[in-house]
Amino acid sequence: MPSFGKAFETWNRKLHFYLGLYFVFFLWLFSLTGLLLNHGQWLLAMGGNDRTETRYERSIEGPSGATDLERMHDVIRQLSLVGEIDVPASQQPGQLSFGVNRPSDASQIRVDLQRHRVAVQHFDNSGWATFRIFHTFSGSRYNQPSSQRDWFITTIWVVAMDALAGGLIVMVLGSYYMWFRLKPNRRLGFTVLVAGFVSCGIFFAEFFA
Amino acid sequence: MFYRWTRDLHLYFGLFISPFLLLFAVSVFFLNHGKVIPDRWSSVRTIQDLRIPDGITSAQGRAAIERAQALLPQIGVTGEIGFTRVARQTGHFAFPISKAGLETSVDVDVQARTATVSERPTSLLEATAYLHKMPGPHNVAIRGNWISTQIWRWFADATIYLTLFITLSGLYLWWVLKAERRTGLVFLSMGVLTFFGLIYAVIR
Repeated sequence: MPSFGKAFETWNRKLHFYLGLYFVFFLWLFSLTGLLLNHGQWLLAMGGNDRTETRYERSIEGPSGATDLERMHDVIRQLSLVGEIDVPASQQPGQLSFGVNRPSDASQIRVDLQRHRVAVQHFDNSGWATFRIFHTFSGSRYNQPSSQRDWFITTIWVVAMDALAGGLIVMVLGSYYMWFRLKPNRRLGFTVLVAGFVSCGIFFAEFFA
Repeated sequence: MFYRWTRDLHLYFGLFISPFLLLFAVSVFFLNHGKVIPDRWSSVRTIQDLRIPDGITSAQGRAAIERAQALLPQIGVTGEIGFTRVARQTGHFAFPISKAGLETSVDVDVQARTATVSERPTSLLEATAYLHKMPGPHNVAIRGNWISTQIWRWFADATIYLTLFITLSGLYLWWVLKAERRTGLVFLSMGVLTFFGLIYAVIR
C-alpha cells in the first residue's frame, strides 16, 4: 500500500502530463495570438486587420421586447445573425443601435423604430483576424461595467479560458513540487526560480511602493 | 543526452517563466469576470506654472507623446501614455498614463499653464490584468513610450517563446515514456476534440 506522499507524487506527475496534453492546443492558440496582439507591426498581424464589408437595409417586424436588450435579440433573430451583442452607452431617440460580434464576423446595426427599417454594416473577418480575436473574445470588458456576456457560446468559450488558466496554475504549482523532489536540481532550480520572480516582481514596483 | 538536455531545459525554462505564467493565468479570471469603474478617481490635484512644450496642441503621434513626456517630471508621474487628445475649442491637452498599480489622467489647460492630475490606484488583480494586456494591439505607433513597457514586451515575448518550447519539449518527454502513451493519447485526443469543437461552435 503506497503512502500518501508516494501516491501524491505519482498523481501530481500524471496530472502534469495529462493537463499539459489536454490543453496543448489551447496554449498554442493563446501563445501565437498573444504574439500577434503584441506585434501589430508584423505583416502577419497586419493581415489580421483585413475584413470584407457589406451593407444592406431591410424591413423588420417590431422589434418586440420589454427592454432594449430583448429588442436587440429580436432584431438579430429576424436578421439571422448570431454573436455577442455590444450595447452602446446611449441611444439616439427613435433608434436602436448596437453591434453583434463573434471572431469570424461583426455587424453594426441601426434600427429606425418608426419605419421598422434596419441598416446593417456587416464585416467578414479574415482567417488571421478570426484567429487573433479568439484571444480576447470574452464578451465582457472589466473597465466597462455595463458590458456583459449575453451569448451562451461566449460563456462556453470563457469557461474554456478559465479552465486553461486554472489548469496552468495547477501545472505550475505541481511542477514546483516535482522540481523540489529532484535534489540534484534544487540549487540551480532555486536560482532560476528566484530570477523569474524578481524579473516579474519588478513590474509591480509601483504596486508595492 | 538529448533526452537529458530536453528534460533539464524544460525544467529550468519552466521555473523561470512560472511567475509570468501565474500572472497571465490569474489575470484571466479578472479579465473575464472583474469590473472596475475607470473614472472613479481617488485623488485629484492641480499643478500650477507648467512649462508648456512648443506646438503641444498641433503635434500628432510620436511628437505629441514627446510633448506629453516633457510634462511628466513637472507633474511627478511616470508610466505608459495611452494616447493624447487635444480639445481645440477649450485649449486643453489631455492624456491617460498607466502602469501596474496606478491609473492617471492628465488634463492640461495650455493657456492657464495648469494641469489637473487625477489618480486611481488599482488592485493587485487589476495590475496583473494591465500587464497581461500590455503592450497590446492598440495605438501601435506610439506604444512602448515608457522604458518599462519596452522591457515588459521583451519578457512577454520571452514567456511566449519559452511556453512554445515547453509544450513541444513536454510532448517529447511524454512520448518517450511508453507507459504513459496510451492514457496520454486519450487526454491529447480529448483536448483536440474540445478545442476544435469549441472553435467550430464559435465561428459556425
